[in-house]
Amino acid sequence: MAATSRRWSPGRRKRQAWLTAGLFLLPAIALYLVFAFIPTIEVFEYSLTRWDGISPNREWVGLGNYDRLFGDRIFWEAFFNTVEWTAIIVVINVGLGVVLAAVLARKIKGRIFFQTCMFIPVIQAPITTAIIWRWMYQPNGAINEGLSAIGLGFLTTPWLGDLTTALPALAIAHSWSTLGLSIVIFLAGLQAVDDELYDAAKIDGATPIQAFWYITLPALRPVTAVVFVLTATAAFKAFDLIWGTTQGGPIRATEILATYMYKRGVLENNYGYGSAVAVALLVIVTLAMAVYLYMQARRDD
Amino acid sequence: MTKHRIGLVLAATALSGSISIAAMAQTEIEIWVGGEPGTANVYDDLAAAYMAANPDVQINVTKVGSDLFNPVLVPSLSGGEGPDVFMYGTGPGQPAAIINGGLVADLTPYYRDYGWDPLIPDSIESTTSSDGRLWAVGNEVENTAMFYNQAIFDQLGLSVPETWSDFESTVAALIEAGYETPIGLGAADRWPISHWQSMLFGRFASPAGVDEVMFGDGAWTEQAFVDASALLQEMTEEGYFGPNPVANGYAEIMDAFWAGDIPMTFTGPWIVPGAVESLGDGLADFGTFQLPPMADGQAIHPTEDIGSGFYVNANSEHLDLSADILNFFFFNDDSRLMLLNNGTIPIGSLTELLPDSTLPAITADLRAQIDSYRENGTIHAFLDTVTPASMTNVTYDGLQAIMLGVMTPEQFVEAIQAEWEIAKADGAILMPGGVADN
Repeated sequence: MAATSRRWSPGRRKRQAWLTAGLFLLPAIALYLVFAFIPTIEVFEYSLTRWDGISPNREWVGLGNYDRLFGDRIFWEAFFNTVEWTAIIVVINVGLGVVLAAVLARKIKGRIFFQTCMFIPVIQAPITTAIIWRWMYQPNGAINEGLSAIGLGFLTTPWLGDLTTALPALAIAHSWSTLGLSIVIFLAGLQAVDDELYDAAKIDGATPIQAFWYITLPALRPVTAVVFVLTATAAFKAFDLIWGTTQGGPIRATEILATYMYKRGVLENNYGYGSAVAVALLVIVTLAMAVYLYMQARRDD
Repeated sequence: MTKHRIGLVLAATALSGSISIAAMAQTEIEIWVGGEPGTANVYDDLAAAYMAANPDVQINVTKVGSDLFNPVLVPSLSGGEGPDVFMYGTGPGQPAAIINGGLVADLTPYYRDYGWDPLIPDSIESTTSSDGRLWAVGNEVENTAMFYNQAIFDQLGLSVPETWSDFESTVAALIEAGYETPIGLGAADRWPISHWQSMLFGRFASPAGVDEVMFGDGAWTEQAFVDASALLQEMTEEGYFGPNPVANGYAEIMDAFWAGDIPMTFTGPWIVPGAVESLGDGLADFGTFQLPPMADGQAIHPTEDIGSGFYVNANSEHLDLSADILNFFFFNDDSRLMLLNNGTIPIGSLTELLPDSTLPAITADLRAQIDSYRENGTIHAFLDTVTPASMTNVTYDGLQAIMLGVMTPEQFVEAIQAEWEIAKADGAILMPGGVADN
């Protein structure tokens, strides 16, 4: 009897639950430490050195790389390009994503087909996306040919060769390849919206647009935060698409922090400075996400 | 019957045993190569020839795309792994890092033992050696030239231009005939513009003028380089490269050139092996020429540089064997003939090889042009490979800016000079090379 009460005491059960949870989490924590946390710390350590990435000797420069970074005109160009790039992608993925999800949530004909079409680009390798869009954006590529064919020839332009259109054009390509995921998340969020709300709105004479505005959007606010964070972090980290199309050009019109980091770190064998760019990128992404989530939390309260 | 079976089993066992012993006795050598489609295949043939002569050696040739080379090779070398032999760039940029990091073997003893000296020209030795030691063997000599579509020229009654004025008339005639892009240039990929820059800088400054900057007290801001940059900008503005050169990629331009949509493009012989495979006899419709002098008193200086270097991994367990393979690939007459027949011009004198070669006519013709102007002095074909990587990025951005008309020639040369001075102060520029006598 005494043994039984010991076995089922609340304290022991709580400890066992913690132990079980800890055991299940241990592999994930170990993997995270080895493959994410420790490398991040190492990158920070490299950023305090002058190092070619190969030789065994690293020269300690303290915050020298960061000092140089703040005065580096190209870094700031890349920073503002990254902000513009991310803003375009977030607007498309959140704005268009929620609208398309609302449309696809309705029982329209061919809904599964359209959902599949939207999701296929998500599973493509980013470099494949780069090759497709590089071809599409050629001066005589599919987009210009298509515009000419429908009488909009005056809109044709060398999309990736023009300083003003290159970045937005690639941002659209990035959105094309990630929009499907946003739609899937929004669709999952829409499952939680009670149909009775729409029925009630219909009885009250609300139009579909009013229902979307006053029911769908507010109900999707928590999901929107998830889509925002996922989209923005993916945009900040983007590399393959730009490298596979313009390599940051023309001139530096599509140079974002990730491509600049690669050029300085890998191509110029300047791993110390490249690591400083990487740390700056990490700080910027973390701060941006923290501010957004804080504002979102305050709004929800 | 039973005896027969037992005999067969014993024989099979003995045979499989001997095969596995032979396999175990084989020494495996890993070689990583890059390059254009078609050109890299010759290394499979060379490896097969070496293995036929040395059955105890197994050579595995792996072709690695140029974009993957750095991210894959450098970490594997740093980790004490990686291939025994690998193809890599030469010059003062990344090679300096792997040399300084002690990741590549010093080939100087083999250079002396095998007697490579006579076959390595001084100009090539300077980009593959430093501190008096040889670090790489240049795989091929590359020149650039204007490739043109002979059929289009014939159709329009055009001939190879002999003066700059002729060249301007040729371009005008092509535009008038409806060729929106008379000269294909994949400026979106940036490095193809550098081929133009290298040629123009060399033409306007002469080989001595370029060397004065590279190894002396000269500066990229001198008038000759401003004039060369100005000509590139002028040609762009006048539509020589079509309406949107900065939007075009190199691969797309080459496809359009071979398809007959673009009459000319300035490139090098590395495109020939692939064209032989895809065009066959159709390649006879294409030819090459050296651009005529662009200003009074200017000579035609052919461009020349090496393609890549072959390095031996310092951590290879088979240093001697790796060096022996390099000796076989690049200093053996049969191998050099094999390279030549593939359209890859090996380093060193070809006088004795050319009569026996089946070098594609277009490459042989280009080679003859180079030789006929050689006495004027050669200039760099790829300035981007003999200047520091940090300067390369500034140059690429600047060349696109020149072509888009958002930078003046003066601003361009000032930008590259500024980066050059930083690299010079850091000791990151190419030093006069050469292998020490002892």
